[in-house]
Amino acid sequence: MNKFLIIILFCVTLSLFAETKEELDIKHKELIEKYYREKNKNISKVSGAIILPEKIDLNTVSLKELKTLPISSEQAEDIIDHRDYVSFFKSIYELREIESIDQVTLNKIKPLVTVSHYDDQDETAQRREEIYYLIERLGSNEGLQEGMSDVWEDYLITPRNINKLNFSDIMNLPNASPIDVAAVLNRVSFGDSISSYRDLRKSPGISYYGAKNIRHYVYYEDKPLFQDLFIDYQMKYNDDPYPDDVMDMYRESMIRYDPSGELQTPGIKTQSYWGFFNMQNDRAAVTNKLRIRYQNEWKAGFLYDSPKGYSDVFNSSTSDLFKDSKFYVGYEKELDFYGKNFIKLYAGNYRATFGEGLVMENTDYYSPRKTGYGFNKRITGIIGDVSRTQEYALRGFAVDWKRKNLNAVLFLSQDQKDAVVYDSNGNGIFDDDDHILSYISMTNRFTDDELEAVEEDFNDYPDNVNIIRIAPRRDCLQENIIGGHLEFSPWIGTHLGVTGYEATYDRDFVVPEEDELKDILIYHGNYYDKWKITDNEISSMYSTISPEIGDRDYRRVIGFDWRTVLNNTSFQGEYAELEVDGSLGKIGDDPKALILSAYSQFDNLYLLSIYRNYDLEFDNPYHRSFSESERFDDTVYEKLTYALNNTLLTDMYLNSVQPSAEKGIYFETRYQFNTMLTITRAYLDLWERKSDARRGVRFEAKLEFKPIHQFRIRLRHKHQVKRYDNEQDRNKSQADESEVKLLFYLSNFNKIQLGYVYTRVFQPPYLSILSNPALASGPDMAQASTLTNGDMIYVDYTHNFNRNLKVVGAFSFWYAEGASFWDFEDVELDFDQSDRGFKYWFNIHSRIANNLFLSFKYKYKQFLTRELEYRKFNEIPEEGEYYFQRVERKENIIRLQLDWKF
Amino acid sequence: MKKIFTILIIITLAGSLFSYSLLERETGSYTGSLDPRSIAMGSASVAGGNRLLDSIINPGNLPLMQNKLGVQFYGGIITNFDDRSLPMYNSFDAYCGDATYVSNVHPFEQLAGGVYYKHKLSNFDIAASFIFHPYIDFTSDYLEEVRNNANSDLNSYPPIIAKNYIEGEGSIDAFSVVTAVKYKELATFGIRFSKLMGDANLKRRIIWSDYSFGKLDTLLTNTTNILERDFEAFQVQIGTVINIDPRLSVGLSITPKVEFDVNGTKDSVNVEDAVYTYFTSLDSLQNVIIVDSLTYAEYYAPLTFRAGLNYKPRNIMRTNFNLDIEFVQWSEINKLYDDAYNFYIGVEHCLKNKIPIRIGFNFQTNYCLNDHSGLVFADKVTMPAFTAGTGFTFLENFLFDIAVEYANRQYETLDLFMDSYYWGDDGAYEDLWENSYYIELNGGIQDRGWENPDTVKETFFNIQTSISFKW
Repeated sequence: MNKFLIIILFCVTLSLFAETKEELDIKHKELIEKYYREKNKNISKVSGAIILPEKIDLNTVSLKELKTLPISSEQAEDIIDHRDYVSFFKSIYELREIESIDQVTLNKIKPLVTVSHYDDQDETAQRREEIYYLIERLGSNEGLQEGMSDVWEDYLITPRNINKLNFSDIMNLPNASPIDVAAVLNRVSFGDSISSYRDLRKSPGISYYGAKNIRHYVYYEDKPLFQDLFIDYQMKYNDDPYPDDVMDMYRESMIRYDPSGELQTPGIKTQSYWGFFNMQNDRAAVTNKLRIRYQNEWKAGFLYDSPKGYSDVFNSSTSDLFKDSKFYVGYEKELDFYGKNFIKLYAGNYRATFGEGLVMENTDYYSPRKTGYGFNKRITGIIGDVSRTQEYALRGFAVDWKRKNLNAVLFLSQDQKDAVVYDSNGNGIFDDDDHILSYISMTNRFTDDELEAVEEDFNDYPDNVNIIRIAPRRDCLQENIIGGHLEFSPWIGTHLGVTGYEATYDRDFVVPEEDELKDILIYHGNYYDKWKITDNEISSMYSTISPEIGDRDYRRVIGFDWRTVLNNTSFQGEYAELEVDGSLGKIGDDPKALILSAYSQFDNLYLLSIYRNYDLEFDNPYHRSFSESERFDDTVYEKLTYALNNTLLTDMYLNSVQPSAEKGIYFETRYQFNTMLTITRAYLDLWERKSDARRGVRFEAKLEFKPIHQFRIRLRHKHQVKRYDNEQDRNKSQADESEVKLLFYLSNFNKIQLGYVYTRVFQPPYLSILSNPALASGPDMAQASTLTNGDMIYVDYTHNFNRNLKVVGAFSFWYAEGASFWDFEDVELDFDQSDRGFKYWFNIHSRIANNLFLSFKYKYKQFLTRELEYRKFNEIPEEGEYYFQRVERKENIIRLQLDWKF
Repeated sequence: MKKIFTILIIITLAGSLFSYSLLERETGSYTGSLDPRSIAMGSASVAGGNRLLDSIINPGNLPLMQNKLGVQFYGGIITNFDDRSLPMYNSFDAYCGDATYVSNVHPFEQLAGGVYYKHKLSNFDIAASFIFHPYIDFTSDYLEEVRNNANSDLNSYPPIIAKNYIEGEGSIDAFSVVTAVKYKELATFGIRFSKLMGDANLKRRIIWSDYSFGKLDTLLTNTTNILERDFEAFQVQIGTVINIDPRLSVGLSITPKVEFDVNGTKDSVNVEDAVYTYFTSLDSLQNVIIVDSLTYAEYYAPLTFRAGLNYKPRNIMRTNFNLDIEFVQWSEINKLYDDAYNFYIGVEHCLKNKIPIRIGFNFQTNYCLNDHSGLVFADKVTMPAFTAGTGFTFLENFLFDIAVEYANRQYETLDLFMDSYYWGDDGAYEDLWENSYYIELNGGIQDRGWENPDTVKETFFNIQTSISFKW
């Protein structure tokens, strides 16, 4: 009761001090009149009404003028601050977003102020705002589409008139199929023009996905460039540790004693490259990239990439800086000269890609199942190159000329390449007279001085029998390339092309006969039996000198490519030959490679079929066409690091970029049953490896079920078998992986994903490591096939604080007895292979300004390593007794990326 | 008044508690930025620092304070995780990983504080401040237990035969006076005078356990090595902030090399006679020769030049972006070092509810001296750090900032306490070892040299806070 009385008393008291609404209005009116009386002494009254002077525009007013309003000077400063550093006012009610402006103040000044439409964003900024999410997506895909995201980003910022584009221009856009391109060009060729996206969608034959992707990159009329000069600068810092297989290579001992003798290899860290170069301390990778574009005609780029362990830009000599950096200047122009001509001229580093990549596609990065469609596109023709490609970079001059139905490209390159050299003249040193075995893309590009020092140290080690006979050397091969591409298009969607190049060298490529090759590659005869038929991939590499072909100083590759679009199907292919012992002009007498494909497109379905057949001897270093695996898979380069004469040769496999010699057929489809159910991608690949006739089957399907827009279920299953024909052979390996993922789309574009992966691997005994072959009399160690399985759970979350600040994070935990997982993180693909582990990461994307972006990623990973390892130092009480121990490893990874776009 | 007096006493007492890592136990480590707002932004503050303690990075920041009078107190906890491991080899004798044999985790405190006053005079803002802050820190802590090789199959640990300690104490503190002037909104210029003084005491001890004394009472003596030094110097720093336009300002600061007066002893030898680094070379016969040396008495702080920018774009969240590059002339203080560049980058977004979110990154370079069979080298050790933080205002005039900093680095070094010591000359301490037979089979306990060095993984997790009060 007392409480009730107190409340009533309180309310009565308040009411005594409270003002009615009418009283408040009168007060405000008085205030306003007072303000105007002070501001303008000449207020006139006509029939009692006040003629008010012009209201103050919050978007243009100066601080001095603002201070004349009935507000405090702090409030006036806050208003100016908000306008300068947050946003222009779109409504006077936005004043409430300022902390110091309360409702009373707003009511007070509401009649005195106004806002005009005002924006300082120029058209470039507006365009960037529109396509920000696409640029972000391109940036996150850069690892997979090396170098191409730059080109697509340029197209996004300055779209071109779709009615004036030619076949390759549209075909080079992401997710555009040849049928989509033919649909657009057919319309334009009949004098029609496409006026809008809606109109584009009506083009007969175009797919929904094709049109949806093309629309971001095109306008429908000529629009003047809203800016002449475009500058893009990017800095990336990445302190990822070396991957496990790379560490294994560098840590392997280079000091070996006779395996049949009694000496034990000492456990000494400095006996390996890792210990000698103290690679534990290797600094992080830093990349600086600058691109400049003027009026869409002049283009220039510069990149200095210092990979992990490499000297930074401040400590590089001028000559190294020139050698290791990438740069280009390019000019692209449409000229009227007996019709329309489109010219591209590039000097410096450039990318050259033609056809299906059989003859020429110069990148250091291998991508399995690169179909050339969807997300596995290749940009054909010539483009400036400031990608991280180093070994297969072309540096020189290139011209690309297009007319209505003719396209001619000429490219010249002169560059020094890293290569594997062996002591062919037997004088105990690597000199200029020694032969080259092959190109090599080194993980850590040690200098020649460093390599010579470490080799001397290893060779002089007491009782070491492993004297280095073969080693990589930096920039030791002068490669001069002249090449070209000629293409004729008789009608829309059809072309016939020929591509060829000749590379001349200042040194000879010589692959010795098999016995000698084994002797060079493997340090001791005890391990020669590890050399398998698969190693034919090594022995069949190209030689410039051999008894069959005599003495040459070149490598020549020539190929033909074609495409035709018939209704909703596109047929294309490429055939190429490497001149070995036949003649250049004669077809079929040299090692050859063939790829044929057909792509059919329907409203809710596409079908892709690819047939490929590559000869084992087709050793073209610039070959990047479709394949299931890279060259040197399963060879001694991969399996025999511990017995290689030089462990650095493992890089031949680790950074292998040429497709493996294989023949096979591949089918891929996407099918949308209805808006709720879609097979997003399903493929089946049946192939045979040429070197050892091992057959493989790989099937993967992804299904998406979307009962409501905010919720999706994704299922994925992968099945892969690799085996030889002989049923008795235990070399069958089989892997199955299933995944279920639940996606919840929340408000404000936030997203949460929950996933589970189960994997099962059935594999043969690791014969190359076990010393006992699969013979009835031999084994003293179990050699049954093994079944390993494991699973992983993960959760991903994307939170948008607003459109300029986003955090993406994930946690995953796996338990696997040696099985492995590929994990698609936001900007990379991570390989998790261990017994048991977990990781979490987060990535903060901050848009500092419309043209300045910062993203920061931190990842922590903790896992038990796969191998059984034992502690040796001071801990061997007796022969045969070891402390076995699983080792836990912890990795901290920090990444930073800063993008500035002017 | 009583409270302020108490705080000042705490600052003075805590001045000796500053900390860092074993890598810098003799050289000390530079404390860098002490303002949590800047630290959260990767310590990038040469142009965008708007707190009092930012004026020790660039005195030109001082007149940018918003109020006439203010104080700032800083307190931080720095946790150092030090894992030392020895190499392991797999069954193919390949080095395949590291086994951690000792882990140390030690938290330490840091304190600093200062007061400033700003006065407007026509077009000029004149400001002055007094700041007490740590400058170089020598604190470190390390404990390693040495056990013998007794069997552990009964679920018991082998007995401890000795404990090894490394204990570093002391710091060089700065008593700084900063004066600066701002002309309109165009530019500022500031100068800092600091009296640098402090001491460092480094002890390295091997203390045998009761178990060991029980076994070998007469033979064993504990070992203690002591390095004691007093430092004194005077430092000047100048800096400026230039506003290019309302969005962009550029800051520069330069701190010349400082030469300290050092007194003290190393194991009772005067520091002037105790050599810290030998500079070595190879003669024509490839023998190692000593060409020069640096003693413990020669102690310098290198010249640093720092330049940076502050960018305030128009963003739906109030945003500040800072970027600094620092040049450190390491080569001037030790011939084996190279000059280095450090990078600092940070961003501050103020969300709608006025809570700032700050993130940053920095990358710094240090050196580690190594002796390879008499030849002395310096290895570069780099350390990236990730920072984040926030802050809020309370009781109108108080501002609280908090930053967390995470950094890690990895380097190789020799075993801090060589193993053969515990075996004694010719196995004099054999009785300490339960299964000495196996050790004798290997010819005694061998020391690990550079062929099998320790891998040290260090992690820092720091939490730094400050309270500012303004009138």
